[in-house]
Amino acid sequence: MTDHNIDFSMVLASAVHDMKNSLGMLLNTVDELRAEHEQALAGSEKFNMLQYEAERMHNDLVQLLGIYRLGENNLSAHIDEHFVPDFLSDHMARHTPLLDGLGIDYVIEADDINGFFDEDLLTGVLNNTINNAIRYTKTRVLLTAREEDGHLVIGVEDDGKGYPESMQHTGTLNFKSLDFNSGSTSLGLFFASSVAKLHSNGDKTGTIKLHNGGRFGGGVFEIWLP
Amino acid sequence: MNQQSDRKDTINPFGKLMFLVVDDFENFRLSMRQMLRSCGADKIELVAHATPAIQYSTYNHVDVVLCDYNLGEGKNGQHVLEELRHKKLLKRSSLFLMVTAETSKEMVMGAREYQPDGYLTKPLNRAMLEKRLGALIQQRNALLPITREIDRENYPEAISQCLLLMPKQPRYKTWLMKTLGELYFLVGDLAHAQKVYDNVLAQRELSWARLGLCKILLKNRNFDQSVEGLKGLIAKHPDYMEAYDLLAEGLEMQGRPIPAQQILEKAAEHSPNALLRQRHLAELAGANQDIDTASQAWRQTVALGTNSIHDNPEHYLALAQSLSDLSEGNQDEDGVKQATEALNVLSRMEKRFADDDSVGLKSQIVQCRVHAGQANHREAEKLLGTVKAELEQLESLPPDLGLDYAKTLFRMGHDDQAKALLTDLAARYGDKPDVLQKIENLLDEPVGFRQKIEARGHNREGIKAFESGDLEGAVKAFTSALAIVPDHAALNLNLVQVLLRQHDESPADRSLLTRCQAHLQRLTTLPEQHRQYRRYTALTRKLEGMIQ
Repeated sequence: MTDHNIDFSMVLASAVHDMKNSLGMLLNTVDELRAEHEQALAGSEKFNMLQYEAERMHNDLVQLLGIYRLGENNLSAHIDEHFVPDFLSDHMARHTPLLDGLGIDYVIEADDINGFFDEDLLTGVLNNTINNAIRYTKTRVLLTAREEDGHLVIGVEDDGKGYPESMQHTGTLNFKSLDFNSGSTSLGLFFASSVAKLHSNGDKTGTIKLHNGGRFGGGVFEIWLP
Repeated sequence: MNQQSDRKDTINPFGKLMFLVVDDFENFRLSMRQMLRSCGADKIELVAHATPAIQYSTYNHVDVVLCDYNLGEGKNGQHVLEELRHKKLLKRSSLFLMVTAETSKEMVMGAREYQPDGYLTKPLNRAMLEKRLGALIQQRNALLPITREIDRENYPEAISQCLLLMPKQPRYKTWLMKTLGELYFLVGDLAHAQKVYDNVLAQRELSWARLGLCKILLKNRNFDQSVEGLKGLIAKHPDYMEAYDLLAEGLEMQGRPIPAQQILEKAAEHSPNALLRQRHLAELAGANQDIDTASQAWRQTVALGTNSIHDNPEHYLALAQSLSDLSEGNQDEDGVKQATEALNVLSRMEKRFADDDSVGLKSQIVQCRVHAGQANHREAEKLLGTVKAELEQLESLPPDLGLDYAKTLFRMGHDDQAKALLTDLAARYGDKPDVLQKIENLLDEPVGFRQKIEARGHNREGIKAFESGDLEGAVKAFTSALAIVPDHAALNLNLVQVLLRQHDESPADRSLLTRCQAHLQRLTTLPEQHRQYRRYTALTRKLEGMIQ
């Protein structure tokens, strides 16, 4: 017997919510462990892997929830004005234990500007992108912010091999472009693109741009917000 | 190496401040203390629950509260925030930071009367804490000239300080603009407040500024424009609860209480845990005679009160009153259940607010009605005897108590006593329009809500028939309504008006005039301050002229 009244996406969403909070606790404990056993764990590949993968899962779940709410038409951008350098350094700080553990250098180069965006939504995007950069970079990660063409441009650059040809693009992604067969679903990019689209000013809406090069010759992720 | 960690100020910003950490997990408290110390904090107090947190803040000055949202059983972080701010135990110049395990703020969205100064999201590490908290403390210090004046309630000076800092602190522009708008509103300078919001909106469509502007429009009695703006805001941000609350107020002011109720129902569906919103909904639904919705909302209000600073015996009383209305004259299973719940709620109220002397009497007055409604007349009369004796002891009868007592008297068939009491109340509170209004309503409709709804339905039919020229139909409808509420002033006058119109068409029929006379007779005791008084005298004079 099956109960046809089950709203499966709702069930999934609450399960994801629960898992996300669990992982939050787990990440907290990982941070504490690292602090308590600083010397023993410094440079431990396994420990770094543990933290990186947990962080990645956490980000995925945050995005999943975001996309669920998007589907329910229950996600809107609460745009406010923020001082961009503060915002970026807050987010870099979240990743510093892992960055230090991996010996990756990190720099913020942001103009002293105010930007208009939804803090929570951008947090989801940045966490994921920084986490992604940590995975693919060799030695360093750079966060940038500037104003260009009436847009706030926030960028994440690394010195890894860069994005494969197939992923480089400009504009917005739609749900159909997700490829569930390849190893990477681009879920993060879809989320980033959706968040960009939720940001509008007058008749302009936000987009994301992926290309290679930048300061270190690796991958460059940019989100353009009007 | 990285360039962030060496930007420390020469003076340690954490050192001088008093921190209070509230978390029910010991491990988290200890690790938070560890992190704060390594940031340079020195004075740190750790507590596990809401009550010791409030206790501590009552007797000690605290600069920064770091409070977990989830504190286990009992009060949560939002309750702590409300209580600290409401009782003014925490200054505006002190920071309250909510620590949440969630990335979203949904659950905190409930009551937005008081908002934390910031959120810290778990998982938290030292680097994040130092950055985030450091930035917030820096902001606090920069804005201190303003918040200090707000704490002193010297708002004009706070406004001057805002204007002074505006060009110097572009980083805190949003905070400054928001605060400036609120301060202008607070001192009643609506023109300047509006200018602040207009300026922001000219640059960018920001929801807080749109909301602020709509609030000003409402205050300026520009209802339509305000309601339009708020509807647009909600269409764009279906999760912006403040907009719903303000829209409901706007619709009420437009005289549209039913759409107002619908908006609040929608908001309560999105975010059911805001006590003040549930209370507003309950009041509106009650006024709309939607007693089912009112009971449900009062039930929620009472439940949410358990841990809230806004808990109040009046909520229990109102819940019991609406349950009593629902159960009245209904001895089926449902009615019995509602009556039992009403009595339970009253007994819980008496226990919970045992210190409040007036609670017992209020409770008994409603109990009488509940018993009478279930045909337990002996029980009801016995209680009424006690109530009467106690009321005689009172030096003066407060209006709400008197009104509720009169309602009970009507329900138990003591109409003459009820009317005498209300006349007496009207004389004593002649200068209080809201009390007079309630007295008039009760005199007009001293019946249960179902009969009220029925009578109002007939009244609407009558007006419709009259407007479409169907005089016969109008007479029939108004007569049916008056069979239920014979003393209703407006209804009697409505009928007189229709009868006079009929007389215009067939002047030979003198019986129409006699009927008019009979209906005006019912209103001879109408007091001068009654809303229908002028209409009453006008029609009386007109009739006298025709009869002579």
